[in-house]
Parts: sequence; C-alpha cells; structure tokens
Amino acid sequence: MSMTKKRLIPRLLQFALVIAGVYFGFVLLFDVILGALIPKSLLSMYMFFVIAGTFMVFTCTEESAREMVDPIKALVEDPSKKIVRNIVYAVLPLLAGAYIFTSLQLSFEAPVELRSIHPAPPASLKAYGKRFDLATLENPYRKLEKSDPEKFKKLVFEGGEVYIKNCQYCHGDRLDGKGPYADGLNPTPLNFQDVGTIAQLQESYVFWRIATGGPGLPKEAAPWISAMPVWEDFLSEDEIWKVILYLYDYTGMRPRSWKHE
Amino acid sequence: MNNSGNAMRKINQLMIRLLGAMLAMLFTVAPAIAASGDAENGKIIYEKRCIWCHGGDGDGSGAAEKFLNPPPRNFEDGQYKFKTTGFDDMVPNDEDNFRMVRDGMPGTAMPGWKALLSEQEMWDVVQYVKTFAGYEEEKPETQIDYGTQIPTSPESIAAGKKLFEDGDRCVECHGKAGKGSATKSLKGDYKERTWPRNLTKPWTFRASNDPKDIFSRISTGIPGTQMPSFADPKSKKKLSIEERWNVANYVVSLAKTKEVVDAENTVIKAEVAEGDLPATTDDERWDQAVPSTFLLVPQIIGKPRFFKPSNDTITVRAMYNDKAVALLLEWDDRSKSIPGDELAEKIGDSPISEDGVAVQLPVVIPTEMEKPYWGMGDATHPVNIWQWKSGTTKAPETIALSNAMGFATIEKRDAAASGLQIKSSYDNGTWRVLFTRPLSTDDAEKDLQFAEGRFIPVAFAAWDGSNSESGSKHTMTTWYWMLLKPAPSSMPLAIAVLVMGLLLGGLMWWARSAAAKDTENA
Repeated sequence: MSMTKKRLIPRLLQFALVIAGVYFGFVLLFDVILGALIPKSLLSMYMFFVIAGTFMVFTCTEESAREMVDPIKALVEDPSKKIVRNIVYAVLPLLAGAYIFTSLQLSFEAPVELRSIHPAPPASLKAYGKRFDLATLENPYRKLEKSDPEKFKKLVFEGGEVYIKNCQYCHGDRLDGKGPYADGLNPTPLNFQDVGTIAQLQESYVFWRIATGGPGLPKEAAPWISAMPVWEDFLSEDEIWKVILYLYDYTGMRPRSWKHE
Repeated sequence: MNNSGNAMRKINQLMIRLLGAMLAMLFTVAPAIAASGDAENGKIIYEKRCIWCHGGDGDGSGAAEKFLNPPPRNFEDGQYKFKTTGFDDMVPNDEDNFRMVRDGMPGTAMPGWKALLSEQEMWDVVQYVKTFAGYEEEKPETQIDYGTQIPTSPESIAAGKKLFEDGDRCVECHGKAGKGSATKSLKGDYKERTWPRNLTKPWTFRASNDPKDIFSRISTGIPGTQMPSFADPKSKKKLSIEERWNVANYVVSLAKTKEVVDAENTVIKAEVAEGDLPATTDDERWDQAVPSTFLLVPQIIGKPRFFKPSNDTITVRAMYNDKAVALLLEWDDRSKSIPGDELAEKIGDSPISEDGVAVQLPVVIPTEMEKPYWGMGDATHPVNIWQWKSGTTKAPETIALSNAMGFATIEKRDAAASGLQIKSSYDNGTWRVLFTRPLSTDDAEKDLQFAEGRFIPVAFAAWDGSNSESGSKHTMTTWYWMLLKPAPSSMPLAIAVLVMGLLLGGLMWWARSAAAKDTENA
C-alpha cells in the first residue's frame, strides 16, 4: 500500500472540507447575507449536486480514487488503527440514527412554493374579443412622447388617475409594491421601482400581465395564488395603455423594445 | 430623556433654519424664503406624488377620494388630526406634518415618503402644503405641555385604567375592553364614517403607540373627529398632565400582543385534543392552542369590488381528535350587526346586514404545488366554503355549506348532512365563532376529507354588516395552511434504532471479514 505522494491535507479530508464549505457557504449567503432562509428541500437538492460533482472530480482518475478509498480501507482493516476504528464505529451509527430520527419527525414548516415571477409570455393573447400578437404589439401612445409631449403628459396624468383608483391598494402610492394591503397577499405585489421589474419588460408584456391578470398566468407562475385581477373586466384597452405610460413615467424607467436593442 | 431629546431636536432644527437662512441670503435676493422648506420645489413634488389623493387644490378631492376611508386630508381647511400644538391652536408645528409625510399613517393609504424623497424634499412638501390654508406665515401660539413624563408602572396603569373607565371619558366610544366596540355612530367633519380606534391593536395607530404620542392625542384630541381634548380646562372631563400620562400608559398596556400578525406564521397547527373537542368558544383549552393571526384584505378582485373595509385581521386556533376537527375563528368587530336590532341599526350604516365569517378549503388536498384558485376555486379545483352568519332579530344564526368552482359556479349543500356545526359568541367588540366538522364525511366526492400530517390550504373571509359588507363586499385572506399535527409516536425512534443496529452490524462484518482475510493471507 503505497501513497503516491504526501499531501498537506489528505484527499478524503479535502473532499469533506469542500462539501462542508459549500454547505455553510449557502447558509451564510442566504440566511445571513440575503436574510432569506434557504428552504431545506432546496438546500438538499443543491447539496446533492454539489456532492455528486465533487465526488466525480475527486475520483476522476484511478489514482485519485484510490487516494480517497485507501484511508477508509485502512481504518477498517489495519489492526494498528483499532482505537480510531472503535471510535468511528460508535459515532457513525449514532449520527445515522440521529439523522434518521430527526428527518422522520414531521416538519411544521410551510411547503415551499417556487414560482416563476416573469414567466415566458405566450405568442399572442386574447382579450377584448380579439387577438393581440405580442411580438408586434406596441403602446399606441409611446410615439407621442417625442411627437407631442403636451398630449403625452396629459395621457400620463390620465394613466395616474387609473392607477390611483385601481392599483395603489396593492402596488402602492409609491409604486414600490407596498400598498396598504400588500402584506396580506402572497405573492406580494410587484415593485415597479425595482430595476428588475418593468425596466426588464416590453410594454406588450406589461399589457399582457395587466389584461389577463393572475388567472392569465401560465402554470409555472402559480396563477391560483396571484391576487392580480383580470383587468380586461374593469379597464378599457386604452386605460391599460395609459396606466403603462404612468408606470414608466413615475419610476423613470424605460420599457424594453426590440427596436433599440 | 424625552425632554433633552426634544431640546436637541429643537437645537438641530434651529441650526438647519440658520443654515437655510444663510444659504438663502447667499443664493437669492428674495426676502425670507420659508425657514426649512422651499414651497416652489414642494409644489413640483406635490404635483407628482400627492395630487392623486389630496387633489391639485389640496382640498382632498384627488382621483382616489371616493375609494379611501379615511378620506385624504383637505389641506384647504387647515385642520390637522395629528399635531403637538395646543388643543385650541389650529396651526400645527412643521415637525408634525413633516413626520406624517416621512412616516405615513398605518391603516391608511398614506405611505411614508422617506422611501422615495430626501429629507429636504419632504420639508419642501411640508412648506408647500401649508400654502393651501394660508399657513405659510402663521406660527403656532401654544404647545402641548408634557410636564414630566410618568414612566409606566403597575400603579400608573391601574390609575389610568380607573380614569379610562370612569366618568364617561373613554369607554363610551372605545368600549370597556378598549376595542372600540361602539355604542354610538360617529362621523367626521366631512360627514365621513369614523370608528373609534381599537386600542388593543397599536399597529393601527396613525401616529404610533409611543406613550408620548398617545399623550398628545389625549391632550389635543383628534381635530375633525369626535375625539375631544382632555386638556381643555372648560371640559368637565378634563384630565391633569399626570392623569393623562397614566391613561397613556394604560392604553399602551392594552396591546394584544398574542394576536400580532407574524409573517412567518402561515401554518395553523391543530393539536390533538384530550377527550372531547371544546364545545364552546370560551373553553379554557383554547388558551393552550397556538393562535395564528392573518391579515384581512378587501375583496378587490371580482365585481363588485370593495374598498373600505373595517375588519383587518383574523385569529385562528384549531384542535382535533379521532372524530372531528374544531376551528375557532376570532376577530375584532366594533359592532354586533343583528339586522332589526335597534342599537345595531343606529350604530351601523343602516340598513345593516348580518356579520359573517367563512372558511375556504379545497375539496381535495393538493399533492403538488397547484391549489384551487384562491378566489373561490376554479373549474378543475372545487372548494368547500363554510359560511356563518350572525342572524337577525327574526332568525337565528346560520351555517351554510357550499361548493364553489369560481365566483359564478356555486352549489348550495346541506351543512347538517356533512356534520358541520357552529357556536358563536360576541363579547366587547370580539366575535368568536367555532366550527366543528367530522374528519370524514359520507360524501367524499364533495367534502374535504381531513387527514393527519398533511398541509391543507385554507383561507378565510369576514363580513362586517355595519360597514355595508354583504355578498362580494367583504374582507378575505390569501391561502394559508392548516396542519393536523399527529400525536407523538414511537415510530421514528424505532426506525432510528433499527438503522443504527444494521449499520453497526454491517461495519462489524466488514472489519471481521477483513481480519479473517488477513489471517488467511498470513
């Protein structure tokens, strides 16, 4: 039994350290830095891939595989390691037993619901008794921003009135998703001040989300829990386009568009 | 402490004003611009952020006016609800208005603007808002005299309680339990409906539940409402400074901390009851059940939408045994709305409707993420709805069972046939309604069959019949979870011991066979 070369940290220990490092890295990143507890099921899924990947790297050559296995074989088979062996034999079953025992306890943590926040839009949408092609759909008022700024300003204002009568309850006066009733909803209303929301979307996408509301979402976005009403039932097509103008104007965001990209 | 803090603030303010004045002298020739805010810049901000509710003329007639209760403040009248100047002084301190702009008002549509505006911008807005009432040159003449704050203590609270309950001061509107259970109908200066504050829910106080803020409210009253000043020497109900501190300390002590909404607590945990399930709403065993409190939001998804709710939270406790499950719903409602009842009709917005509450459960417990649509289910995911109504002077309370597949597809069913039972009680501004249903029913196709250890989606709705709530006009919660916690079992331990034994056995066998091989080789 010859070791290929002497290492500062044995390979097996390296393996254990990498796994532990990644595990605590996740916990540190999510629970401490981001302040959002990482769900256990998600963490175990991540760790499964991390362990599998690390194992592959550590055993990719025959030599390295042997380096991993040898210390374990030695522990079991080498008579000179009797004391260590006895300790490991006592501790390992105890740990396994404790793990099984705790994992069999029923969890009272609410099940995790992973949903897509900006799901892929359909090619076209049906609303107001007609079909809109989302690839070519544009805000009919956007061009007035340059050609008739006075008219544009008036339209933005009308959009603001639509917003305050209909949307502020959830999305808030500040458009930050913190309206008076936001805390009572799950998922919480979208924050338009966040650079990750309307600034990433085209106006046609926003039109789709408003016109068809929560029930118009695809399955991966969990339409059954969204509190977004089907605005087609309350607002005219025109009002939706105006409220979209207001969302971008108030937040100072620009809609994405195929033309400029 | 408070006084020195105040002094510091005043000094700071003075410094800011001095600095402002110096800058003004440096940069403009215009005489004396407002000490700490620039009204012209305030106007620009106001017209972008504030007009929607408060209106371009500051008269509270913005587009949102009709959808809000309390209504947006009318600045033209120059009357402010939350201020620290003397009770007989209309003019508020700039700091009072600054604070409202900065922090907003909980329980209203007014948000805290510190999230979007800089300190200076908020002062500018305050300065501009003053111009609506012509207050730009006005200075308040009197201030609240806080004397020396009396720190809270059991003695102070006891003294405050006595003052609160005696002499027709507070109880008449706020109720004996402080929950605002009304004995009369209240209106604000704009004829808007007002309800006395529920003092057990400090998170709904517009201007915080710090004892000093409560002292301010008791001292100045709330202008524009029927909350009077208790510092007014002409009032028969006048309280001394010391007495007002005692009442403030008592009010702080009323907070129902067990029923605070906790965003992490989304699972109603039903424990196994020993023996029979509680048959009443005041059974002592309910005190041991862990309460879960959820926010109620108005129904603004389906037609007709509802914008001015009065109920804001609902607290749920649950227990079960081998036969049935019991759900106790508790919520504060300032009026017991029994149509036909003389007092109830007088307090409420007549004609009143019955109070009510409902529980929504899926007919089938979902095995994956997909649940029924939270607004009364959908075509492929029906829900059970248990609805209680408080009854009228002519008819007793009722329990109704229905199955829904969306707002429009509702099938009325026989509650008794499914074994659904209710008990209710109303005490000092709090409804408690107890629902009991067998774990399983004869109609497994249409009724949820309760199962231990499964996460069951559950949602609630409530109706305040004195607040024009009936039909689709009500408050509701989003989906939460209910879990029937299985009684502790010895299974996990048995399996753990078994695994330990097997693992140890395997390891021993490995070592032994290796040793045997060694001797063979040797």
